[in-house]
Amino acid sequence: MSDAKYFQRGKIQELRAELNSDKKDSKHVRKKTVMKKIVANMTMGNDMSPLFPDIINVMNVPVLEIKKMVYLYLINYARNRPEMAMMAVTTFTKDVEDPNPLIRALSIRTMGYIQVDKVIQSLLEPLRHCLRDQDPYVRKTAAISVAKLYIYDRVLVEQEGFLDMLRDLLGDPNPTVVGNAIAALTEISERSENVQLKLNMSIASKLVAALNECSEWAQTYILEALMYCVPQESADAVMLAERIVPRLQHANSAVVLTSIKVIIYLMNYMDSPEDISSLSKKLTPPLVTLLSSGPEVQYVALRNILIIIQKRPEVLKNEMKVFFCKYNDPIYVKLAKLEIMFRLANPKNIDQVLNEVKEYAAEVDVDFVRKAVRCIGRLAVKIEAAAERCISALLELIQTKVNYVVQEAIVVIRDIFRKYPNRYESIIGTLCEYLDNLDEPEAKAAMIWIIGQYADRIENADELLEDFCYTFLEDPQEVQLALLTAVVKLFIKRPSAGEELVPKVLKWATEESDNPDLRDRGYIYWRLLSTDPAAAKAIMSDKPDISTESDNMDPMLLEELLLHIGSLASIYHKSPTTFLHHYKPRYLIPSPALQRQIPTTPRAEVRENPTDAMNGYNPYMSDFNQQPSFPVDLVNQADPQQNQQDISDPDFLIDFMLQSPFTRVNTFPYHLLYPHVNNFSLQQLIVTLTKSILRPKVLLTFLALTIVLFDLDDSEEEEWEDPGGFEAMEEE
Amino acid sequence: MLNSLFVLNAQGKIIIEKHWRGVIPRQVVDKFNDQVVTFLAKPVYTPYTGRSLEDGSATSAQQRNGDLLVQRFALEDLPPVIDTPHYQFLNVQRGGLIWLSPVESEVEPQMIFEFIHRIIDVVQEYLGDVSEMSIRDNFVIVYQLLEEMMDYGYPLTTETSVLKEVIPPPTVYNKVYSTVSAAAGVGQKLPSGTLSSIPWRKLGIKYANNEIYFDVVEEVDAILEKNGSIISAEAHGTLNVNCRLSGMPDLSMTFINPRVIDDVSFHPCVRYQKYVSDKVLSFVPPDGHFKLMTYRVNLPSGQLIPLQVRPQVTATKNGGKFEVVVTPRPTEGKAIEHLVVTISMGKACTGVNASCSMGDHFYDSTNKTLRWEVGKVDIRGRPPTLSGSFSSSVDALDNPLSITLGFQINMYAVSGLKVDSLKIYHEGYKPYKGVRSLTRAGKFQVRT
Repeated sequence: MSDAKYFQRGKIQELRAELNSDKKDSKHVRKKTVMKKIVANMTMGNDMSPLFPDIINVMNVPVLEIKKMVYLYLINYARNRPEMAMMAVTTFTKDVEDPNPLIRALSIRTMGYIQVDKVIQSLLEPLRHCLRDQDPYVRKTAAISVAKLYIYDRVLVEQEGFLDMLRDLLGDPNPTVVGNAIAALTEISERSENVQLKLNMSIASKLVAALNECSEWAQTYILEALMYCVPQESADAVMLAERIVPRLQHANSAVVLTSIKVIIYLMNYMDSPEDISSLSKKLTPPLVTLLSSGPEVQYVALRNILIIIQKRPEVLKNEMKVFFCKYNDPIYVKLAKLEIMFRLANPKNIDQVLNEVKEYAAEVDVDFVRKAVRCIGRLAVKIEAAAERCISALLELIQTKVNYVVQEAIVVIRDIFRKYPNRYESIIGTLCEYLDNLDEPEAKAAMIWIIGQYADRIENADELLEDFCYTFLEDPQEVQLALLTAVVKLFIKRPSAGEELVPKVLKWATEESDNPDLRDRGYIYWRLLSTDPAAAKAIMSDKPDISTESDNMDPMLLEELLLHIGSLASIYHKSPTTFLHHYKPRYLIPSPALQRQIPTTPRAEVRENPTDAMNGYNPYMSDFNQQPSFPVDLVNQADPQQNQQDISDPDFLIDFMLQSPFTRVNTFPYHLLYPHVNNFSLQQLIVTLTKSILRPKVLLTFLALTIVLFDLDDSEEEEWEDPGGFEAMEEE
Repeated sequence: MLNSLFVLNAQGKIIIEKHWRGVIPRQVVDKFNDQVVTFLAKPVYTPYTGRSLEDGSATSAQQRNGDLLVQRFALEDLPPVIDTPHYQFLNVQRGGLIWLSPVESEVEPQMIFEFIHRIIDVVQEYLGDVSEMSIRDNFVIVYQLLEEMMDYGYPLTTETSVLKEVIPPPTVYNKVYSTVSAAAGVGQKLPSGTLSSIPWRKLGIKYANNEIYFDVVEEVDAILEKNGSIISAEAHGTLNVNCRLSGMPDLSMTFINPRVIDDVSFHPCVRYQKYVSDKVLSFVPPDGHFKLMTYRVNLPSGQLIPLQVRPQVTATKNGGKFEVVVTPRPTEGKAIEHLVVTISMGKACTGVNASCSMGDHFYDSTNKTLRWEVGKVDIRGRPPTLSGSFSSSVDALDNPLSITLGFQINMYAVSGLKVDSLKIYHEGYKPYKGVRSLTRAGKFQVRT
């Protein structure tokens, strides 16, 4: 006998007839069967609401199983039929006083779901009773009902004093009731503008005491609520954390992860490094153990580990092996592991990591292979001592001639060249053998960049570039821009070799192309070369240093995410405000004990990850995306006196720059402009300037800046904000 | 907090839906299915086609290398959390079903995954198997379970023993019983366990024969290098208990060598402080089957791995030759059973020829895997060997083989963990006590 038969499409009339049938049904077997059919139809999405009045009659049947199904029905349809729902109220109020606590709880629970004004009105009084019911099961159900009611009508809950009653429940002798009361309060606090949960130490320690005895879920509520406790003294924070430590051994991964979150949060209020490091050590085994759970849990753990190690690298510094990828790990787990391996890599374990990553580069999973190749390149940039080994690993991979591996390798080799200029040029010859295989824009652009940059060392640079030029007009923009710059570089370095190509490419760029970026860059180069070839040397100026620093998360974002360990934000590595509509932000609340860690390298711009629909799968890994940091003084003639001037005056700024745009731009005192930002990105300045682009002076400055920027970092092209007012300018 | 839960079959059709906080329209599932379709259709690698598409010819590079490897993701590769503009889709895939929870607000995914896992476990316990068929056949029970396990997005009762008091499992006995005595009125009493300080055990349990069984199951996760050296190896142990004891026994269990354990997590019944101070497991057990603890042991020395595998792959023209030798290691005289070696031949493989010294081998041409069922291996005999050749459309070295192993060893714990004693307090009887151990392969992988 199975339930599947109830899934047959039941006709309303038939069901009604069965429900009201006068046949002898002393044991309610028939009613039960009909109810099953109705519930089955309901789950299939068939509209069963016409049966409402008949169902109300069934409510009085004193069989728990039937009662449950009736309640299920009411929850589903009562909201759409408010007038009908009223008819149920009498039965509800009777059930709320039933001697059986199970029924009392069930009815108060169901009433909370039926959010119809009149039902809610008649819920208030029974709810008040239930919150003080002698049976803890009823009390805990009532606590949750307050949260339900709050979402329906906040003012009502506040007026009727339910919040105070919830607060009283925190002192309840039954730990599970305490857990549910705190869950309700937390939810109310997160949704409300004027209610904010704050726990003082005495309540917090009561809650922690309840931790040991309540159910696993209630434990997560209590732990979650501890995030609202602001320790006033370092000792309090340590004491609280020590009492949470046993939770790290819980079988429920949600309890474990929430405990980790609370402990890391409390560390902000500890002044002794010994305490912090002894607690950090205790976090290691549970984090590693989470990795042996199902893939979903593993994924959440990995994404969170990635956040934790950026703040507290000591937690997992000796645990490299657990992040080695297994052949049959799902791809999202592999990618998350790879990123962690990269972060944990240091000069001591680099050999181990490199061997492992090389292994991945030979796997079948193309996406993973690419990330592995890219990782080798990033390791070279991160750890100078290992650069040599990384390069030879990359060369080995190039020998395999697997097309996508070669292309990926060339892209990262460009970055290595930028990081360590004039050191590994000997391999250029090898790279050139693969020129014809390049068919991906990024790899092509990288190769062109290398040729342009080392045009004076590569004998046949002109021929190679000329080869690329054949397809210039069909190539994607990325390649065109790279080629344009490379050809100009070639001309500057070896005028004789470039003199044929340059006019050809400039002409294409300015006349044949309908891409404004390319055209503008073409014009600028053209004018530059024709008016002041000496100034054009700026194109060859030193490139800003790249480092894997820029892969680090923005410190502000990191702090925010650390308060959200285990949440969706921690998986996307995005601030919750960016993807949620209703969200109350969290901050580290100051207290005398708060250890302010001033972020060492504040950055002007929160790194936005490219957001596509599958962002959870491929976040954060993909790009290098260096922030230019302009340490280079081109001509070194900045006048220190001038920096003292009033920087807030835009005219001064512009005058200062116009004196000699090509030399001044790098000494531009942008850090004075925004004193709280060390690393102000020039691009942002330009965006600011474009806002007043119609002023001729500003326009000139803007152009001057762009010229230098063009060659700084091609990969940042996409990040340009649309300069407002650009259209208008062209029309004038 | 969990808003809604949809259970979908592999085709994305709704089998059952449950809403705890207002109804999320079913159309949301279509959105999820769209995401799945886009994800599955997304080529991981498409050669650059900027020009080649227009004139219809492949670029020279593609022609030369022939690596038009357009690989697509499998459903298992779908990330468990998917970000879309309105909903965040949390999903768990188990046994061909997708358990989908769309959420609109900030949640703790770990809690949702944990909860969904729990539902699956409970349904498994109730119905014996979790599949579209079994859920459809017992959907009223599943629905009641969902209702009982969660209230307004807050997990309510997730202990099977307590649930069973509220919702009787669909046994033949219960079916007969409910038909005969359905009119007994509100017969059910408040589940006694829900709120006592020992929520996992109810009062008044009685057995004619008091017995308790412990099952130590250890799974070996390992990655071996082709020369046999170990890259990483650890064992994940679970201590499963089947407890059939009367009354409220208080148990105390010791191990001979608790030091081998690197990390451990316990069922809520275990008194943690006692373990920290004395390395003693002290607990009042739940009734019936439960997982007392799980633990992790690093296996640093090669001696502890029960098997040694040495694959050899040599490339030939259009393919390669391979030989795999499995050498058993001493395992306290216990035989290695159900040894299965699975070799993924790579996507480009076109055919395999193999012969083995023991057991049987099959080649699955759709999955491109060679499965060698060795069976029982005796340490004294000659080590089993599989050798053969394969043909492939790409260079063999670009496409390395990957070997995974499955095996099982009865009455043997690879970590060396051994139960020393079990004492019972608060009850007068002397129960029958049994301990079994089992070691099997978890993710056991050999690189070539």
